[in-house]
Amino acid sequence: MSATPTPLRDRAMDAAVIAGRDRENILVGNEIIRHRLSSRLIHWSVAVTFFVSLFTGLPIWTPVFAWMAPLFGGLQVCRWLHPWAGVAFMLAVGAMFFAWLDEMIMTSEEKSWIGPKLFEYLRYQSDDSEVGKYNGGQKIFFYTSALGALGLLVTGIVMWFPLSFSEIVRELAIILHDVTFVLFTISIVFHIYLGTAAEPGTFGSMTRGTVTRAWAKLHHPKWYKDVTASGK
Amino acid sequence: MSVQNLEISRSSASGILSSGNVTGLRTLPAVSKYIDTSTCIGCKACEVACQEWNDLQVVPTAQTGTYQTMPTLDPSFWNLIRFDEHEVEGGLMWLMRKDQCMHCAEPGCLEACPAPGAIVQYANGIVDVNPEQCIGCGYCATGCPFDVPKFHAATGKMAKCTLCVDRVSVGLEPACIKACPTGCLHFGTKDDMVALGNARVEQLKKNGFASAGLYNPPGVGGTGVVTVLAHADHPEWYGGLPRDPHVPLGVKFWKNIARPLGLLAIGAAIFGAFGHYFNFGKKEVRGAADAETNLPSA
Repeated sequence: MSATPTPLRDRAMDAAVIAGRDRENILVGNEIIRHRLSSRLIHWSVAVTFFVSLFTGLPIWTPVFAWMAPLFGGLQVCRWLHPWAGVAFMLAVGAMFFAWLDEMIMTSEEKSWIGPKLFEYLRYQSDDSEVGKYNGGQKIFFYTSALGALGLLVTGIVMWFPLSFSEIVRELAIILHDVTFVLFTISIVFHIYLGTAAEPGTFGSMTRGTVTRAWAKLHHPKWYKDVTASGK
Repeated sequence: MSVQNLEISRSSASGILSSGNVTGLRTLPAVSKYIDTSTCIGCKACEVACQEWNDLQVVPTAQTGTYQTMPTLDPSFWNLIRFDEHEVEGGLMWLMRKDQCMHCAEPGCLEACPAPGAIVQYANGIVDVNPEQCIGCGYCATGCPFDVPKFHAATGKMAKCTLCVDRVSVGLEPACIKACPTGCLHFGTKDDMVALGNARVEQLKKNGFASAGLYNPPGVGGTGVVTVLAHADHPEWYGGLPRDPHVPLGVKFWKNIARPLGLLAIGAAIFGAFGHYFNFGKKEVRGAADAETNLPSA
């Protein structure tokens, strides 16, 4: 399929959207397809199941969020829904993990993002010239998300069926579930912030699937080079 | 539940602290059961009275090699005589202890409970489960050092001894007390029951039980059930009565340290994101709309 599809009668076809149904990392017109449709659907499955899990879990966590429970029909419903939402979340994260794993292999340079490099990046002072489709921070977020989801599932199963486990296991599960969810939520706060307000143009890569050339060259110059070299 | 004789003094998950907020205009004298294991004959009249008064369904018995009706308390069996045999210096001790909710002054179940008002402590010290609010999560079982609250599968709620709060609130004694034929069970104010227990302990000591004592563990603030033990140095002989019960450290750490710190951390993250934006602004190419002519020089 060529990058410019044939117009269907007099309807103006959105070439980038059409191409993004099943292809990514290609240049279409002046836009680059960053996430094909399946990737976007997986991402939003993770997001929706995460937030249902979060909002049904928070009122069980502390009465400070008791007002959230009525959104789902009350605390009884939350207690029922939360574990199932958690299972759905794990399934979505699992799908995401295996779908994206190939693109997430870390180089030794990227491993240095665990440390001062991350803060350089947040101060907009890092040298991004070697950044491919994903930077080190994104890859670390990918792996910690998968690990966190697994930790939440394992501890969550103990809390789902507490009477099948010993006292000490239950106590540990509750504390680990708590700590993991707090860390996960903090990382999601920054994920959303970086993907919207802090780096304009990023959000569209998860909705329309596309980014501009300037965006790609600014944030992911190596990926931009690869895409434009093969696309022309 | 707003009538004076059922005034609630503490309610689960309804304050900033895990121990629940203290409500209620009045302080009533705490009530307590008195159990004298040295005069219990194991007749199980209290078990029957409990089942009858509380109209609980029949639970199949389970043979454990003793006279004990079943191995542990059950969501439909709130009062269990535990039978234990111990051989000491060639002699045999046949010990019986009435096991039920201890109605702790500082209840671990109430601390652990996440559902507002699902576990309440009345002004007279009775700890009760309110099934309308209970979500059946089982946290109370984790919080209880006596392994008392049990999950009732048919209703999806936790269930345990209510200290016959319905009887007590109209001036009657609990059903188990009423049924006891030997007088090893009494009911009254906590102060009276402790005095009664101490008197009995003195009597036992004079009769050769040097290590007799009253089980009223301070780790949970004392209990609404005081138990005379002829061998108070070995409470575990009496159906595994814990030596020093307290609300599990894990529950305390989770509710009083991990949870407030977690709340602060999430709040700080949101605050931090705003702070970052105000301090560093956004990362973008100026005039990025015209991508072809205004590419960054990377």
